[in-house]
Amino acid sequence: MCELDQNLQTPMVELLLSLADDKLFLGHRNSDWTGIAPILEADIAFSSLAQDDIAHASAFYELIGTVNDKNSDQIAFGRTCNEYRCADIVTKSDNFNWANAIARQLYCNTFDYHRLARLSKSNWSPLSALSKRILAEQTIHVDHISTWIQHLGNGNSDSKARLQEALNTFAPYAVMLFEEPEGLQELHDASILQNDSDFYTDWKSTIDVILNSAGVTCTCELTNTKGGRSGKHDEDFVRSLAELQEVFSTDPLAAW
Amino acid sequence: MVNKQEILDVLSTIPDPEMPISITDLGLIEDIAIEGDAVHITVLPTFIGCFALPVIAENIETKLSELNKVESVEVSFTNDPPWSIDRITDAGRASLAEHGISVPEHGSICHSETSSPPVELRISAVLCPWCKSTETALTSPFGPTRCKSIHFCNTCRQPFERMKKV
Repeated sequence: MCELDQNLQTPMVELLLSLADDKLFLGHRNSDWTGIAPILEADIAFSSLAQDDIAHASAFYELIGTVNDKNSDQIAFGRTCNEYRCADIVTKSDNFNWANAIARQLYCNTFDYHRLARLSKSNWSPLSALSKRILAEQTIHVDHISTWIQHLGNGNSDSKARLQEALNTFAPYAVMLFEEPEGLQELHDASILQNDSDFYTDWKSTIDVILNSAGVTCTCELTNTKGGRSGKHDEDFVRSLAELQEVFSTDPLAAW
Repeated sequence: MVNKQEILDVLSTIPDPEMPISITDLGLIEDIAIEGDAVHITVLPTFIGCFALPVIAENIETKLSELNKVESVEVSFTNDPPWSIDRITDAGRASLAEHGISVPEHGSICHSETSSPPVELRISAVLCPWCKSTETALTSPFGPTRCKSIHFCNTCRQPFERMKKV
């Protein structure tokens, strides 16, 4: 199935924007670590994660373009603040604290792993094909971040305490990832998406396995707060957006 | 009219910009469509964020345009079907091994369809391409290019690269 029903186009764009915007901004924030990560391999890794995430975002913006007939650069850079659909954990400042960067990365990477696993079962083939492809790369991200969680958690009492503090700080933001994009139910009703297990439970059991192996924990609870997925963003997001749009607003035709 | 074999012969002379292997041995070519003097090549990226893609497209266009019966060349990329290491030919594997780049075995792709947590992917023994020792360790899953990880051999004390299992 390649053609998407007219009435499903808006919900599909909302869903794809939540995914692409998460990846674009997470990639953007991860690139902050280029040149200054604690060790060389971590520096290369975070730069690579950023490159992957921005490329994944770009692929999803192109897919959105096939639905709403817009240029992918325009979609990525040409919107106003309340038109972005990312959850604000992706732009929450890590204050250049490595434990914060690792905690944010764990929450987002495992969330994306499960999100892509679900989307790869979609019966809209352009979405399932791309999600399957990206899931293979996402698996490597999760594996990498699990290793860092173990390094810090099993390191010494200082690294463990700092990781635990970072996990606690970012936990309330992690659950914001689960705010549903508008119209998601319509995609389920039309069988574009299948609901075969509970997303949050799947995600929580994955992070619990990883955190357990490092002797740390995450306590969090789902809320119904409207946030990034509804276009309501915090100050950190606004700052990130201004930075991201700096070139585009000067020259909308600049190539990236 | 130009035929498929002539096109393939040219494509097999084009090296990957980042590795000692031709783009045909790497399994990048998904489709060759010929319509009169127009040729359309469909290419599979190894990794979505690979920087080499524009260079590969340009090399294909330049090389094929040199053929007499070809007027226009178009290159497009698709992720469906996805590229995987299973597409690398035996000749390609041999060429990579000669240059110290290890490639996972056919059919050993790690990513699973299930939603079980993808933890501890690194437990399987990786063979050193230099001395064939299995006493090796992963240095980093992120190497000089998107498709390779960095490893170290504790027997011959040499670093080496490995294609990622996708």
